Amino acid sequence: MTSIDVRDLTKEYGGRRAVDGLTFSVRPGRVTGFLGPNGAGKSTTFRLVLGLDRPTAGTATLGGDAYARLREPLRRVGALLDARAAHGSRTARGHLLALAASNRIPARRVDTVLEETGLAAVARQRVRTYSLGMRQRLGIAAALLGDPEVILLDEPANGLDPEGIVWIRTLLRRLAAEGRTVLVSSHLMGETAAFADHLLILGRGRLLADTPVRDFIHARVRPQVRVRTTDPAALADLLARHGHDASCEEDGAWTVRHTRVDVLGRLLSEAGVPVLELSAREATLEEAYLDLTASEAEFTAPRQEA
Amino acid sequence: MPFVPVLHAEWIKIRTLRSQLGGLAAMFVTIAGLSPLAAVDADSDPLFSVYFGISFGQIAAIAFGTTAVSSEYRDGALRLTLTAVPDRGRWFAAKTTAIALPVLAVGLLTGFVSLLVGRAALGASAPGWAEGVRGAVGCGVHLTLMALFAAGVAAVLRSGVATLSVLIPFLLIVSFVIGDFSGSVADYLPDRAGQVALHSDWGGALGPWSGLGVTALWTAAVLAAGAWGVRRRDA
Repeated sequence: MTSIDVRDLTKEYGGRRAVDGLTFSVRPGRVTGFLGPNGAGKSTTFRLVLGLDRPTAGTATLGGDAYARLREPLRRVGALLDARAAHGSRTARGHLLALAASNRIPARRVDTVLEETGLAAVARQRVRTYSLGMRQRLGIAAALLGDPEVILLDEPANGLDPEGIVWIRTLLRRLAAEGRTVLVSSHLMGETAAFADHLLILGRGRLLADTPVRDFIHARVRPQVRVRTTDPAALADLLARHGHDASCEEDGAWTVRHTRVDVLGRLLSEAGVPVLELSAREATLEEAYLDLTASEAEFTAPRQEA
Repeated sequence: MPFVPVLHAEWIKIRTLRSQLGGLAAMFVTIAGLSPLAAVDADSDPLFSVYFGISFGQIAAIAFGTTAVSSEYRDGALRLTLTAVPDRGRWFAAKTTAIALPVLAVGLLTGFVSLLVGRAALGASAPGWAEGVRGAVGCGVHLTLMALFAAGVAAVLRSGVATLSVLIPFLLIVSFVIGDFSGSVADYLPDRAGQVALHSDWGGALGPWSGLGVTALWTAAVLAAGAWGVRRRDA
């Protein structure tokens, strides 16, 4: 079992701290989402873990070893950093064959991962002709090439179409279920919550949260419920009597804050209020994440004067 | 990590890029293709008239060496390469070997084909076999050193455009112009020194092999600087 261990990791670029004293572990058998706004230090952390940049201080190890000490590292760690890394004039197959040869990975693995990522039909076309989504798939194919225990993907959902998003979600879940260590970065909370078991949230190079997704939702998300009824007066009366903070939307539906559907549903049923719709509002997850990172975000627009 | 798989990977990268294969072909065509013109200028050095195309051929060699390295410095390609081969010194050694071997092979082929064609074109005034073979070997070695020189510059500058915009004007203008003042410091410029091996007569201090030696020293120096950069800098 190989985990990624980061200890007091710091990287400065000309006095500016891109990564600032990070300490965390990424465990096998689950998908860990690596979240943060643009410029939070996610990609820098990836580069430090992969031994591409030298840390100013601290260490990053994979199963106890620094990346640079691994023999034939593609067989242990697979990474997608930049979907543009494949040369436009090469075919996908040529690109993967060169990578495979360097780590003595048999050429049939190239065909296997091309099949797995849905690129088999275009494997002999030049990468220049690929869409961004196809390049992402090629980058993922490269990461899977050595059948590695550890997989690091930097924004893999970038440029994927809806079908591709579903595919990557399923793939990540499967890789984790096979016992691999999976670290996936994103700047979108909703997207990450759909496949991650665990969250690492980064802001300005610092770790803001290291928590299971479920705990994050319970602790941070102020739940809201959307209700539509044929009897607004009865609903308003009921909500007021139970002290719920609610408001009527333009479309006639009500938003009830700080409650859950299982609480409100029972209440409405007991009071005999007719219900047309009763649903949890998911957007609040994104809001909780924005709350957490807003103060830390480096590139937030200045607040507009009201 | 063992060296041979890394070399194999670097060779695959070269053979899967059409522009790289085109560079090798251009080397052959510009030198061997111009060798039938050896007889046109009967006054000139008999051996060099066979290898008149070297001025253009070495530009192809430089483009080959530059492209092989600079293709790593675009869009994070080097990061992917170094995740596969974290031993950077070994990687750079494999890269330069993968550049040197095909250029040497095609350069020697070019040298001998040009010699045969040139000898046929020149007839009685043709260079002798001994100096002809020296010229053919010199052609292969000189082109190899120029490709490696360019590879080293590209690793230092980390850009193909920057490398070519330094080297091409240098070859076409500086070396051409001050090269006319033979016996000067210009004889020691990397492209001039190696070309002594392609002449029947030479006036300067450098002979055919010492000339190639000087070019080899230039190349070694630039490759060392490139290797240092590859090892020390963040990818």
